[in-house]
Amino acid sequence: MSVDFWINVGVLAGIYGIFTLGLQLNAGFTGLLNFGQAGFMAIGAYSVGIFVVSWGLPLWLAFLLAVALAVAAGMLVGISALRLRSHHFAIATIGFAEIVRYTLQNAEFSGGNQGLIGFDDDWRSVNEWALSKLASVELDAYTQLPLLLAIWATFLVLLVTMELLQRTPWARVLRGIREDEDATAALGKNTFSYKLQSLGIAAALAAIAGFFVSLNITYLYPTVFDPTFTFFGYAILVLGGLGSYTGVALGSIIFWVLLEGTRLMETSLSAGQQSSLRFVIVGLSLILLSRLRPQGILGNRNELRAEP
Amino acid sequence: MSAPTPILEVRDAVKHFDGLRAVAGASFDVARGSITALIGPNGAGKTTMLDLLSGFARLDAGAIRLANRSIAGMAPHQIARLGLVRTFQLTRVLAGISVLDNMLLAAPRQPGEHIPSLLASPRLARQREARARLAAEELLETFGLRLKAADYAGSLSGGERKLLEIARALMTESSIVLLDEPMAGVSPRLGRSILDRIAILRQERGTTFLFVEHDMDAVMSRADKVVVMAQGRVIATGTPAEIRADSMVVEAYLGGLAGERVP
Ligand SMILES: Nc1ncnc2c1ncn2[C@@H]1O[C@H](COP(=O)(O)OP(=O)(O)OP(=O)(O)O)[C@@H](O)[C@H]1O
Ligand SMILES: [Mg+2]
Repeated sequence: MSVDFWINVGVLAGIYGIFTLGLQLNAGFTGLLNFGQAGFMAIGAYSVGIFVVSWGLPLWLAFLLAVALAVAAGMLVGISALRLRSHHFAIATIGFAEIVRYTLQNAEFSGGNQGLIGFDDDWRSVNEWALSKLASVELDAYTQLPLLLAIWATFLVLLVTMELLQRTPWARVLRGIREDEDATAALGKNTFSYKLQSLGIAAALAAIAGFFVSLNITYLYPTVFDPTFTFFGYAILVLGGLGSYTGVALGSIIFWVLLEGTRLMETSLSAGQQSSLRFVIVGLSLILLSRLRPQGILGNRNELRAEP
Repeated sequence: MSAPTPILEVRDAVKHFDGLRAVAGASFDVARGSITALIGPNGAGKTTMLDLLSGFARLDAGAIRLANRSIAGMAPHQIARLGLVRTFQLTRVLAGISVLDNMLLAAPRQPGEHIPSLLASPRLARQREARARLAAEELLETFGLRLKAADYAGSLSGGERKLLEIARALMTESSIVLLDEPMAGVSPRLGRSILDRIAILRQERGTTFLFVEHDMDAVMSRADKVVVMAQGRVIATGTPAEIRADSMVVEAYLGGLAGERVP
């Protein structure tokens, strides 16, 4: 077991933690089934790449613009699909994520299937600097450690921010919508606007996660943002529990330790069989959990939305 | 004394559901500060009328004016902001949040509900929240729900949900409150305390009430004015005494009851 391996698990857990904070806000606290989160993540990551490589912008400015662009995409999806009722909205968001992927795969501006490379020079110099600092504690051998620290520092700040936001009257309106949108509208709340805000914030979180994905893999290609990755987020959500941001952190760690840790199993299976087995193990763990603790590890049973 | 303009004016309202005319050219007024009852047999179109008034259904024809303003085409939340709140015949409490949160969600003018004003004046949001909490607790007390404030609304009984929904509607401090069968499923004692509360609110704040009710004792003893619907039309309006004496109403709806009352 190498330390680098577990650093990578931590990087993935942090990235998907940020990613899933948005899903928690949508699904857990607003009752919005957003299945397009991977699409927003792709928009965030690719915009960073395109702004740096094609436009020559500094990485940090590109990052800010990418988040803004993802939010704009969230607004567009919201305005066109949020008036649909829950399940139809969910399907529309899957469609959106597919459109994003096909566009990135085939468009010239995104490098098509060849993808994008060479956008992370600014990060590399930060990484060098951080490693030189880490040398004083003899940790500079772990080249991904600065990324891990940056991701988890960001994740924790966002987690605390979301948690604080959750205690405001603003979030109470979201929970009202989750419970009964009509009854909430009858109390004078512009429910459409709140759903739009919820989606916009989730898209921003996905774009931040996408930014870190791009730094982690240093090479952007469309399959990294397969729409099915949204379901990793939902698996994390179910593990950690609906209605708890701390649960997102815990769920993400458990999910990635399970999914990546099972790579280390010593079996006589072929590589393909073993990788399928890993997903079987994760799936079985989820089923087991749903029997033993349907609300998830930190979820609140009372806040589980009973389908009408 | 000349009558002030009514808070609500309904003119020739029509609402179709496919072939069915649920509301078929109904007209009536609700006087400001009055307690008006809307009665009629099952399927008369009373709930549909409340849906039209609150924006949950769109008029096919006719006009509705709230405080001298046409509300045709407005969304429910826009009408609510003009000071009209309604409850639902089939209760709609927000099951997954607490009883108190149900109440606080209804508090008017909470700047904390909007992120820009929340960031600009968190103190004001906190002050409003504290004040709303007092108002909510007082209302919950009246409705016998004080001890349940921290419970999830989903854990309430059917009657308690009805009470919470009414308390929540009153929490909005709307100038007109529409109640769809507030007494149904509520014990007689609490039913009376709801009616008492309504009378007090009308007295103190001048709140207008329009309530749909099948309990004729409540209607006849508490309403200033009664509007009778049958088959989507308004067939009579008047004071409780006038309605009881109206042969058409007796035929359409009150039959049994009038028979009991007149020896
Ligand atoms: N959404 C709808 N779709 C189709 N028909 C409807 C709908 N809502 C109401 N109706 C029909 O309109 C008519 C009036 O219904 P409404 O609910 O307004 O009656 P009501 O006077 O409230 O009756 P009750 O006293 O039983 O509550 C009924 O015949 C009903 O079947
Ligand atoms: Mg009805």
